[in-house]
Amino acid sequence: MTPLNNLAEFASTKFMGLKNYLYKHYGEEPGKMLVHTGVLSWTLSAAAQVMAIVFNDKISKKEKLFLIPQECADAGINILSFYLVTNAFTNFGTKLVKTGKLTTPLIDKYIKDNKIKDIGKITTDISKDMPPDVLNEFKSLKSGISVLTNTVGSILSCNILTPILRNEYAARKQKEILTKENKNPNLQSPAGVQIFKPVSMSAYQKLAYTKFSGSDMKI
Amino acid sequence: MALAGITSYIKSSSLYKTVQSGTQRVQQAFYDCIPNGSITSEKWQKRIKWVGREISSPENRLILGVTALMSQPFIDAHNKSVDEQTRKVSVCRTVAKILAGTSTGVLIRYGCIGAINKWSKLPTSVNKMGQKIKLNKLNTLFSPSNAGHELSEAVKQYRNTLGTILSLFVMSITNFVIDAPLTRFLTNKFIDKYAGGVKNDTSK
Repeated sequence: MTPLNNLAEFASTKFMGLKNYLYKHYGEEPGKMLVHTGVLSWTLSAAAQVMAIVFNDKISKKEKLFLIPQECADAGINILSFYLVTNAFTNFGTKLVKTGKLTTPLIDKYIKDNKIKDIGKITTDISKDMPPDVLNEFKSLKSGISVLTNTVGSILSCNILTPILRNEYAARKQKEILTKENKNPNLQSPAGVQIFKPVSMSAYQKLAYTKFSGSDMKI
Repeated sequence: MALAGITSYIKSSSLYKTVQSGTQRVQQAFYDCIPNGSITSEKWQKRIKWVGREISSPENRLILGVTALMSQPFIDAHNKSVDEQTRKVSVCRTVAKILAGTSTGVLIRYGCIGAINKWSKLPTSVNKMGQKIKLNKLNTLFSPSNAGHELSEAVKQYRNTLGTILSLFVMSITNFVIDAPLTRFLTNKFIDKYAGGVKNDTSK
């Protein structure tokens, strides 16, 4: 047996539980998959940024003590805003279909024929006991709506909410550092600082130089 | 086991139940405001189903990239917390970062999903000529045992999920090897052209 076959056999048997779990949990829920892999994407991206600071010899230990928690806080904003907004939108879309609020004529007919009560109640699941043809229609509609609402939620959180929150947070942090520098002459920037004015180009570059790249570099 | 115990303890606590019922009441009030609707147009039914079937993480990343180009530069351009020159550099860097991140993100996601498709064959899988593929250890490396023999929609979504997860680990490396240098290169190009040529050292 070749080493590649050995590896293949090892992987196919050892990770069967994981593969079956992924199939069972995400096979019919593409919207949920996009939320969870999105969170994983932000988490890995943030972890890579932290590692880049930890292993950067050009950054002093004292600066690392400040930069690492700052990077973690930044990651927290990214991950939380992404998860809360995108997950809320995806759940909203899925529940619209699951509770019978949003239907197609075929699903509508099934609801009327079976006299299903509590339409629109959040604990209702109209897919229980559905015949295969209606169930197929239901699953396709649920997948489509969950991907659509997920996309709207992702756009809102990644492209509007997160950049605004991050800009606000970054500007505040930069001003804090510049205030500290001004109080301690040993740390003062040679270009001079403007504490209460908008952050200048030189101060922006000096402070950003210590970082490998922006923490908003989503993978 | 310990985690399951903690979870069941939290779920049985009265505080959890109070919070849960409160959240449900708020959710219900929100849902009650939405009128019931039925999608009668066949064209729209087809479109929605197509989205669920065909839009996965590479397409999602592309949509996010395109919409990011339409929103983030404007947010940076109106950031009053920094001076005008910084705003210009920040816009150039944001555009460069979106272009670099989106192109590598989309390509690597497609590549990894393609690789998983090759290595998760089922007994009914056929090649481009329509002939049955002979299964071996390698091309069934990622085939789930609970998927049955047919290439169902769920199997396609499973492949997308596994491919996306694999791509995220690949991108943890390419983020530094490709994205960061490409972002720096593009940023400096844009600054030369649009922001008066102030060199950007921020992505070192």
